[in-house]
Amino acid sequence: MPELQLTVNDEVYAVDAPVGASLAHVLRETIGLTGTKIACNEGHCGACTVQVDGVPVLSCITLAHAVRGDVTTIEGLRDHPLVEAFVRADAVQCGFCTPGQVVSAAALVAAIPEPTLDEIRHHMAGNICRCGTYPRIEEAILHWRG
Amino acid sequence: MARLIRTEKEVEGRFEEVWLVVEEDPLTQWPAGPLAVVGRDAVRKDGRERVRGEARYTADVKLPGMLHAVLLRSPYAHARVTRIDFTRALARQGVRAALGPGEANGLVEEPEYTGQPVAAIAADTLEQARAALAEIDVEWEELEAVLDPEEAVARELFTMETVRSERGDYERALAEADVVVEGTYRTSVVLHNSMETHQAVCEWIGDTLHAYVSTQYLWGVRDDLAKELGVPGDKVRVVCEFMGGGFGSKNGADEQTYAAAVLAKKTGRPVRCALSRREENTAAGNRNATIQKLTVGARSDGTIVALGGEFINAVGASGWSAMTEGPLTMLYACDNVRTVRYGAKINTPPMKAFRAPGFVEGTFGLECLIDELAEKLELDPLELRRRNYADSNDGKPFSSKNLMQCYDLAQSHWDRRDEVRARSDSTWKHGVGIASQIWFGGGGPPSYAWTRVGSDGRVTVVTAMQDIGTGTRTAMAQIAAEELGVPLDRVDVVLGDTARGPYATLSAGSSTTPSIGPAVRAAAADAKRQIVEIAAQRHHLEERVISIEDGVVKSADGNLSTPLEQLLELLEDAQILGKGARGPNPTGMSVLTFGIHVVEVAVDVETGEVRVDRVFAAHDVGRIVNALGARSQVEGGIIQGIGHTLSEVRLHDPETGRILTTTLDAYRMPTIADVPEIVAEFVDVPDEHLTNLGSKGLGEPPIVPIAAAIANAIRDATGADVHELPISREEMLRALEAAKQKERRGAPAAV
Amino acid sequence: MELLRPSSLQELDGGLLVAGGTEVVPLLRDGLLTAERLVDIRGVVPRGVQDGSIGAGTTLGELEADPSIPAALREACRLAASPQLRNMGSLGGNLLQSTRCWYWRLEYPCRLHGGDRCHAREGEHREHAIFANDFCASAHPSDVAAALLALDARLRTTRRELPLAELYRLPDESDRRTTTLDQGELILEVLLPEVQASAYLKAMDRKRWSFPQVGVAAARLAGGEVRLGLAGVAPVPWLIRAPEELDSATPLPRTAWKVDVARALVRRALAAL
Repeated sequence: MPELQLTVNDEVYAVDAPVGASLAHVLRETIGLTGTKIACNEGHCGACTVQVDGVPVLSCITLAHAVRGDVTTIEGLRDHPLVEAFVRADAVQCGFCTPGQVVSAAALVAAIPEPTLDEIRHHMAGNICRCGTYPRIEEAILHWRG
Repeated sequence: MARLIRTEKEVEGRFEEVWLVVEEDPLTQWPAGPLAVVGRDAVRKDGRERVRGEARYTADVKLPGMLHAVLLRSPYAHARVTRIDFTRALARQGVRAALGPGEANGLVEEPEYTGQPVAAIAADTLEQARAALAEIDVEWEELEAVLDPEEAVARELFTMETVRSERGDYERALAEADVVVEGTYRTSVVLHNSMETHQAVCEWIGDTLHAYVSTQYLWGVRDDLAKELGVPGDKVRVVCEFMGGGFGSKNGADEQTYAAAVLAKKTGRPVRCALSRREENTAAGNRNATIQKLTVGARSDGTIVALGGEFINAVGASGWSAMTEGPLTMLYACDNVRTVRYGAKINTPPMKAFRAPGFVEGTFGLECLIDELAEKLELDPLELRRRNYADSNDGKPFSSKNLMQCYDLAQSHWDRRDEVRARSDSTWKHGVGIASQIWFGGGGPPSYAWTRVGSDGRVTVVTAMQDIGTGTRTAMAQIAAEELGVPLDRVDVVLGDTARGPYATLSAGSSTTPSIGPAVRAAAADAKRQIVEIAAQRHHLEERVISIEDGVVKSADGNLSTPLEQLLELLEDAQILGKGARGPNPTGMSVLTFGIHVVEVAVDVETGEVRVDRVFAAHDVGRIVNALGARSQVEGGIIQGIGHTLSEVRLHDPETGRILTTTLDAYRMPTIADVPEIVAEFVDVPDEHLTNLGSKGLGEPPIVPIAAAIANAIRDATGADVHELPISREEMLRALEAAKQKERRGAPAAV
Repeated sequence: MELLRPSSLQELDGGLLVAGGTEVVPLLRDGLLTAERLVDIRGVVPRGVQDGSIGAGTTLGELEADPSIPAALREACRLAASPQLRNMGSLGGNLLQSTRCWYWRLEYPCRLHGGDRCHAREGEHREHAIFANDFCASAHPSDVAAALLALDARLRTTRRELPLAELYRLPDESDRRTTTLDQGELILEVLLPEVQASAYLKAMDRKRWSFPQVGVAAARLAGGEVRLGLAGVAPVPWLIRAPEELDSATPLPRTAWKVDVARALVRRALAAL
């Protein structure tokens, strides 16, 4: 299997993965970072969202070998103020979509530190939550700095 | 004191008479309103680990040597497997075992819906297992498939007996009514689509099965697996500490659970069997479609004198027929009611309980019908509901009912309608609609809990319960903290493992808080009693003067004031153990939940777009334990309901019965951009007859009335009657056109 | 399967071309596409906006944020897909995306798959076409293509320059393809003429992240010509020049509602110019 080098959360990993392997699969199964969840595995729900050079992308349909840039997963954001903001605002129920929500939200507030409600809705629309925590996510992002 | 009683147990609206061992519960309820901890906002105990991705779901369980299993599913709506041969499949690289029809519960020889599993294959990797499916040699004999529920009813093809109910003299009352309104309402198949798909990882260690299952009912799965494998219940351990949503679809073991367990036995290796999202959209359960033909007769003063309904539940190939007639028979005071409910057997993937099964569908039909009655009577819809308020459930008193208070809370929001309507212009019409909610939510025995108090004064609640995302851990911690008199951050909760902790009921039917909550309180009270006994002995006081407040053990005269950990340091590494059980339900009473939604919508009358702008929700569910979590439940239920109201529908090919909406871009759930302003309020008055807590469940009530309230708001805005869910643009435009035709013919416009 | 990353156009030599991968990766996984060799073209396709020329490798997310591009294109990008998909997906790839018709995606032996029926016509077709739907009733899902059609864009490929309209063709008995690219031909740039005004309106089934039920792009070009590009109404992006052309729609029983929606959006889009 061809070898691949990935920088994830500022750490360099050298792994073996077939060309068809998704970044999500490599993160979860090979590197062992299971915070990134796979819920649909075809790019429709956003649960698998990670950042590549700060840009939110869907790791389940990103080929691991085609990644160009540094990957940030939820593990790399564990101390981001958004985490406490989500907890405070109760922006989590079952929690399966939540890591992806935080990754998208972190990119949003990096680009727009004080987003409006419309901006939040526009930028978070690719992260589906079946439990319906959306109003809480809005609040978490509006008050992310605490 | 334990005793054996015969009682009626209700889950998801289904009633059964059961024998139960119950313990009496001598505790008196706390006073109403927010207390020190209970009734206040509490952030989730396990929030941080979920947010950070540290929580381990079944999807994250990885065991050494684990195999991956996939299911071979029928491509036909009805067929028989006449021949199946695994030789080629088993010869493939990495393939370790296969199961054919009958070799595990759920693998059938005669599939009755597309997607029904007939076989299972396990291999080293998921890709190998999937590739091997194509190498299984199967011959099918296609059989006749019925896909239309009305055809099934005509041919008397049912999944269970037809249910008829009658009270009073329906025919006569209808004949004497001043006004009669009839309507046919249809709801569609919608899918749970929890973010974590159905899955299980099974491993045998010696003669014990360890099953990691994404489930709402640990003990149910334990029981199911024990029976399937012919082993004692204690030889099955079921673990689920975090699960990614269920909504009723994960109430027991399914094909993937059984296949994983049997394959693990066969291969001697752990086996994961996880559904893909496509399988989840196909054959993991659903809320069945319904056709409801409803009639209401009333006097001109608004008194409802007759209610009738014919309900067809398009159940699917198997399954139970939910009580779609429930709201019609229970919500309003009406002496003359007649209903018939059919469970149509059709060759489509069958229903599973989905957040208030039957009542969501039935409330849509009923509450739209009631509003159409209000229009015909030229009566305010809220006033009409007040006038027909039921003080009992067909003669049976309620344990508590504060629906009138909900109506009062809603009044000021309902009074906004002139202001809302005034926003209308030539394109966007604005309107307001309401709908009432009735549902169960009393829970019941048995459920048990322990509380351990250590020498550091920290408390651990232990129960083999599951937290499906509703915040069970936090609510249980609050109850224990309140009873014991310690700060919330000193309480931890251990749950999710049948090997660790006593029996607890399933997390469905809005039964969690009202079932396990009282058990936790009883366990905490037991521990407190022991602590008080110790303090009394150590400080030569009478027990009755001792209390614990904010983690400090005090005497009434103030002489004793010692931190709990100081009192208990003598324990060293031992502990105080308290034990509690859920007491019996009140007898001879109906334990129900109530509420009302007031919804503001805007409709683009040229394109059929519906926008939900605002929802006010008032719910009566007895004592609120976690105020923050309760608001989240209401928001979540409303948002999920907006999905089945506007954009979610499972479609199948009319020729083959195959499911077409298998992906999440075709099956469209609400995004954050679809969310209205939501204001949630609670009556928050304890049900004085119900347990030591007075709390009912809140998981389902918020999803029950939202579709009807939206439909009624649409009528208010546009005069159009929508009679079908989802209210697609096609349906909205049809209804608008019909309203225009009605107006041209001179029929009265909407009030 | 191997993955190549050429750094110049000259190195291109067959294989399945992929940029953002949002279309190709799922189709490969489903078996709707097969390939021994994948070629990551992000190093060779132009990316960025420069005086009315947009590199085909530019992502929809980049275009959404660029105030210099015409309103119709910018709005089409803004309302397309999800934020993550817009970050990943290229302009060129978006133009070449396949239909969302469930029969096609589930590999029914339909006309687009070389078979002899359109299962949607006789079956479940409520999201399908209202024009040119006799042979195949699939709907084209690209908002961006509709916008570029209205804007009278041209494409420059590795082989030729052509109006956007000529990128598409209706499938027929002898040829089931909906695009006219040759094997190995790669879209390099999208060229935009001057426009006086443009707009894009989209009817979709939820407020975001949904394919167009009906998308209408309108543009008034420099010379005053008015063009309307429609998404979601035909197997290819559909050009009309006046609202009256909607009268010649041939809806199926369950797509008649799309005609009404299209009328309203066409009127509004023209009013926005």
